[in-house]
Amino acid sequence: MSDGTAWRRLSVRIVYLDVLRLAASTAVGGLGLALDGSAAVRPLLIGAAIGVLGALADLARWLTTSYRVTEDRVELRSGRLVRRHRTVPRDRIRTLDSSATVRHRLFGLRVLHVGSGDPESSFTLDALPVAAVTRLQQELGAGSRPVTGAGQEPDDVQDVPGTAAATGTVIARLRPSWVAYNAVTPGAVLVLVGPLLAAYGFLRPFGVDLLDVGRGLLDRVPLDRPWALAACVAVALPLGVAGQAARFAVQHRDFTLSRVGTPPKSALVTRRGLLSTRTVHQDDARLRGLALTEPLAWRWLRLARTTALATGLSVADVMAGGSPASSVLPRMRREEALAVGARILTDGARPLEAPLARHPRSALTGRLLGAVAGSVVVAVVLLALGRAGVLPGRSSGWWPAPLLLLPVTVALTVARYRALGHAVAGAYVVVRDGGGTRVTVALQRRAVVGLSVRQTLLQRLGGRLTVRFATAAGSRVYLARDTGVDQGLALVAAARPDLAVPLLSDPSGARPSSSP
Amino acid sequence: MTRQTQPADDDTRVRIRAPRNRPDRRFVVWRTLQAAIGAVVVLGGLGVLLGVVERTRPWLGPVLVVLAVVYLVNITVMPTWRYRVHRWETTDEAVYALEGWLTKTWVVVPVSRIQSIDMRTGPLEQALGLATVRVTTASSEAGVTIEGLDVHVAEETVRRLKDVTAATQGDAT
Repeated sequence: MSDGTAWRRLSVRIVYLDVLRLAASTAVGGLGLALDGSAAVRPLLIGAAIGVLGALADLARWLTTSYRVTEDRVELRSGRLVRRHRTVPRDRIRTLDSSATVRHRLFGLRVLHVGSGDPESSFTLDALPVAAVTRLQQELGAGSRPVTGAGQEPDDVQDVPGTAAATGTVIARLRPSWVAYNAVTPGAVLVLVGPLLAAYGFLRPFGVDLLDVGRGLLDRVPLDRPWALAACVAVALPLGVAGQAARFAVQHRDFTLSRVGTPPKSALVTRRGLLSTRTVHQDDARLRGLALTEPLAWRWLRLARTTALATGLSVADVMAGGSPASSVLPRMRREEALAVGARILTDGARPLEAPLARHPRSALTGRLLGAVAGSVVVAVVLLALGRAGVLPGRSSGWWPAPLLLLPVTVALTVARYRALGHAVAGAYVVVRDGGGTRVTVALQRRAVVGLSVRQTLLQRLGGRLTVRFATAAGSRVYLARDTGVDQGLALVAAARPDLAVPLLSDPSGARPSSSP
Repeated sequence: MTRQTQPADDDTRVRIRAPRNRPDRRFVVWRTLQAAIGAVVVLGGLGVLLGVVERTRPWLGPVLVVLAVVYLVNITVMPTWRYRVHRWETTDEAVYALEGWLTKTWVVVPVSRIQSIDMRTGPLEQALGLATVRVTTASSEAGVTIEGLDVHVAEETVRRLKDVTAATQGDAT
């Protein structure tokens, strides 16, 4: 590296933080030993040891890590025993994600994650002073300036002067009603389980055994009565919902999604969080479309979630809900989600609302036959295995289960068929699919990097095919499943006339028409 | 797109056009040998297990029979069937291939979106003088694999594709 750009270090304040952590961990360990040396204190000791080791490793990291930003790349040097020198070209940087835990906040520190969509060339700077993070975001972020100032905590005094000015255009801001939409989930009953387990583990060394307390309660409350169970749920559900609501509110406080900069160098910026804040930049140049997700349980409430599809995020990120939460918005009313989606797109189109063409009836009959045949086959195999005495114990009596579940299977199959649809709307190709979770995807037609048509034996008999649009964004491929043959080929021709040229032959001699 | 599968005049319908070129004839030999080797390894292994470990007998027997039928079809029918289906072509604009037997897949990748082109020859392919050409894009889902080409044809194809992609601008995403 010939140029002489200066190397920068992590914040010294992390050293103070680590010294405190060391002291706290040792104190906890000492407390555990002072109480008594029995097995019950072991969790405390293990916790203390982890704390001490973590603090020491952190100190070593501070000593050995340095980074610099040059004209065309970011470099990170780290490690003493194993030296690493990581170089990331600046134009590969997709997201800048700054977060802070409570302890980072106490010292005015932030963790900056520089994401390039590829784990090999992404790295984390833990920790930097707020001013350094702001500076890096300015240096690296697309669009002129990052959003700061709006909703900044009063204790953040290290603001670089002048950065509070550019907040860009706000696309979406947290609404109180969203807390309710996001708090009620079937998993809410289970929210209490985690803290209860933690409390159990923590209190045991001090001689309080929550299991015993629980058993004492259970002796008095007969759990086998339906009303007792109902009462338990009646208590757990509101508490769980309240827990979820609190968690959502904490994570999404000051949530804003805004657009900064002027096209073509503009970016989406997401900010959110109370205890840990994150700011994510995402280049508009990498935006490829939108997805609208409607899980079955929420469809009757007309709730939905909008996701922006962008290149450069790994599939794993996308599966995890687009972990650089860049593009993921919380659940909101369907109309709101659609409106926000329309504002995320830079061209003002509303492709998600385009009327979709239905797929042929034979798709439904084919799928229903498949569901019935599948259930029968599974039941027969289970029966045969049971007869052969291979299945353990009483499970051999379960063979009719797939048949008994048939009504559910059939209902889901019908729901999935009804979800099927596709359209070409302006610059976008739109496909919809999904029984349990219905997903509508609007993908820019120019973002299609490859196109395939697939036809199984059964589809050939039923006159159907599946069109697969491959892309570098989102989950990498979006399907129009089980279209009619003519319908599917018309979709190909309308979506990508250039790719239809080698694929399709038009006996009339003309190029395939762009609309059927 | 609202057009249903009404009995349209068969001659005016848009249809899928198959790519121009077939793989080399040795493709059939290659796939047959491959399937046979697979059958020997899998069926042989399971057969030994069946003979040695008595507890597996009640269920491994039927599984073996089913697998044997699958491999028999794979050895006798699949290679020829695939040979009759598989087609490929490359132009200055796109790579286009058709592959499969029970399930057919037609893939088109525009040259401007190609990220890498490579040629692969396994031990069997080397012995037969065959090669596989693989074209990849930014999406793991849009790749074209052309199997069973004569080595010289494959080399020529790769060279041509490299020339064409070098002349095409674009960041391939």
